[in-house]
Amino acid sequence: MERTVAQSSTPQGRYTLLPSRYSSEDILFCIDVDTESLVEMKVTGPNGRPITRLDSIKQAILLFINAKLSINPDHRFAFATLTKSASWLRKEFSSEVESAMAALRLLSADSSSGHADLTQLFKIAYHEAKKSRAQNRILRVFLIYCRSSIRPQHQWPVTNQKLFTFDVVYLHDKPGPENCPQKVYDALVDALEHVTEYEGYIFESGQGLSRVLFRHMCILLSHPQQRCLQDLIDIPKSLTKKSPTADSAPGEENPAASSQ
Amino acid sequence: MAINTVPPLIAAQLNYLLSNSPLPINVEQMWSGSKHHGLLDRFTLVIPFCLDYIRWDVIYNALYPLAAPDIIFGPEDESFRPYHVGGGDGDLKSPRKSLSDWNCKDPTWLLSLILELRELYMTYQRKRVGEVDDERLKFELSTIVPREGIEMYMRSGIEKTEEVKFAVPLLGVDINKMVTGCPWRHQQKIFLEVIFPVGRKYRHAPSTPRLKLVASPELKALFSTEDFRLPPWLDDMCMAEYLPILEGLLQSQIVDAVSSIDVRRKFIVALAPLFGRPVEADPVFCRKVAFLTSSGVFTFLVHFSLPLQFPKQQPVLMLQSSQHFNPSGAPIKSPVITEFPWSSTWESSEMAERFFDFLVEECLNFKKYCNESLLQQR
Repeated sequence: MERTVAQSSTPQGRYTLLPSRYSSEDILFCIDVDTESLVEMKVTGPNGRPITRLDSIKQAILLFINAKLSINPDHRFAFATLTKSASWLRKEFSSEVESAMAALRLLSADSSSGHADLTQLFKIAYHEAKKSRAQNRILRVFLIYCRSSIRPQHQWPVTNQKLFTFDVVYLHDKPGPENCPQKVYDALVDALEHVTEYEGYIFESGQGLSRVLFRHMCILLSHPQQRCLQDLIDIPKSLTKKSPTADSAPGEENPAASSQ
Repeated sequence: MAINTVPPLIAAQLNYLLSNSPLPINVEQMWSGSKHHGLLDRFTLVIPFCLDYIRWDVIYNALYPLAAPDIIFGPEDESFRPYHVGGGDGDLKSPRKSLSDWNCKDPTWLLSLILELRELYMTYQRKRVGEVDDERLKFELSTIVPREGIEMYMRSGIEKTEEVKFAVPLLGVDINKMVTGCPWRHQQKIFLEVIFPVGRKYRHAPSTPRLKLVASPELKALFSTEDFRLPPWLDDMCMAEYLPILEGLLQSQIVDAVSSIDVRRKFIVALAPLFGRPVEADPVFCRKVAFLTSSGVFTFLVHFSLPLQFPKQQPVLMLQSSQHFNPSGAPIKSPVITEFPWSSTWESSEMAERFFDFLVEECLNFKKYCNESLLQQR
């Protein structure tokens, strides 16, 4: 698969910062609003109130948008939802946090969808990507998927015209006899590799921990034109005093490990 | 057609102008010529001229969409009559040809007309300035005439004095080409604004003109006109003498500004082995970089902001939590951090190590700050 590789590594993988293309992003969030988005997270809220996946997702998106705008106030965001297929929630790309907050308030779970087809999402993205490029921007689709047994499908043709980057966050139940999150994950990876322009990242978690979701969102802040391959991600780096003995104290979570 | 829409032929010409103008022209307001149809067939254009703006009203008539618009100039410009072919005034070209050949279906016509009128306006102002009875001004004009691209105009200054303002483009060099990976869509330019008070009152007191350096807005990613100290205007100097001195100084500072990009770049690259691959860095001007780091299970972002005078001037830091949020859901940010061990003489690798050590401690303070902020919200 042809993939546009970011120009910011030497062959040894060391970081370089060449004066290369640097476009502001148009980021299209597509949030799965199937009933499985209402599954509760492990930790409850401040007053013991249960937190659903959707609650965490909304907070994670706000975290992402605020952080992205702190880095570069020119990035913009739009919103879609996924039930059986994708549909617009807020179509205009905007760099206003208020606007994102208003869109997220409209986000609510739907009934059980049965199947998930990404074709329309890719169609929308392809169309929007052309507009973004005309403004010297790049488009990124950010899918947040919540179903543990339903493999997403698509009929997107094989094409050399990859106009947008595709990132995925997958929240699921722990694997068991009644579900198949591994198969779903594999289908998401296939879709990603099929469509993405720059290196796309996919993260999954079945732990139900919001802070893990937030950490994944922060890694996904990575600008597509400056990314390394997912296998080589070395962040977040740990800020601990360097000592001759082991870096992390026992019981500390190793942030680089995939959580499943 | 609905009320408050712009008739299509007019809209086509206006949109073409706004998308294709070589100068940043804006529409300030739109209104309708008749309360009966309510269509927006009139608007004010704000046109840059001599480092200021002139406002012209463009008057179409929605009922006669094939006709050319009238243009109404500003109140101080009553003597600007570009449609009048001046007797014996060989210089003043009339745009009458453009207007008589007006083709409403060609979307490029309005832009051509406005640009042509602006040229004529420039000539008109030059003529007005040339007619001012002021020895000093006449002398200045004669010496700078060969320079290209100068715009000038006469205006009433404070207390009814008259002033002549010059906008002198500086540096023949293409700044855009000097920046590798330059993202600027427009040509960046630097101008010297020179304002001479004129008139009888000042004949015996050749005063220093008011001087200001003005740059196109995007240039501030590379160079700050505010930080640039203008060389002194000595007594009895004239523009022809001052400009080369200014340009020499400016040229060397621009060259320095361009090479300081790589100094900042080197620092950013030196941070990567310790802080990990940045989530995003500005690769052209190297003014900003953001890293994702953690201390135990506390994950947060470190934002570095590098000033133009780096390393003479130190960077500025800000931390942003991924786990603590204020009541509106925004992640908690630290106040801007400026107190840390710093020396401009350190090698970039040493700077990086010192920042790492500093942040190992500082992030614990930040975590406490975040937790306290959360407690205050309860």
